[in-house]
Amino acid sequence: MKLTGLQKQVLGLYRGFLRAARTKGSEERKKIESIVSSEFRRHAKSIERKNFIYIEYLLRRGTKQLEQLKNPDTLSLSTVPVRHHPS
Amino acid sequence: MVITGRTTSVKLISVGWAKNGFPSLRSSRFHVSCAAKPETVQKVCEIVRKQLALPPESELTPESKFSALGADSLDTVEIVMGLEEEFDISVEEENSQNITTVQEAADLIENLIQKKGEA
Repeated sequence: MKLTGLQKQVLGLYRGFLRAARTKGSEERKKIESIVSSEFRRHAKSIERKNFIYIEYLLRRGTKQLEQLKNPDTLSLSTVPVRHHPS
Repeated sequence: MVITGRTTSVKLISVGWAKNGFPSLRSSRFHVSCAAKPETVQKVCEIVRKQLALPPESELTPESKFSALGADSLDTVEIVMGLEEEFDISVEEENSQNITTVQEAADLIENLIQKKGEA
């Protein structure tokens, strides 16, 4: 499996999140892992592979979120349900 | 659980020696390649099973490709992270992307454990 640069970046970000989750409490860690995993998978399914602009945007956003999560003062992570996209 | 495959403990060690003080790049490298221990292979199998939620009756051999077991690239990242924790090692990014089978993972782990022991 040959990965593109962008794919490597995404996987690197995913690793970063899982690593950051390890530094939190075990309850929170599970929660973070489940949120992160479902977010990455949701996007992997819903985004057109060639939509580089959007993928790059999400990478930047994810990197910022990861920075916040890495902060020791950040204890947890939560999601707010958004209305479903019109399908 | 079915574990088949390489259980030999054959170790191939090649060492480059500097001849008569002639500078040689090879002498600075210590190349070790060996088949991973069965315990390591078994532990890796367990983690892969857990991570991919494989049913206990499914067959898993050291040569099984993660992708053939239904793992996507995110699963592979999770497997490697799980291995890091279990074996208390740290797998570098480039290496982690080269792991596609249980055997490859086990070999890399032993390599890292050995390096850790030397450090």
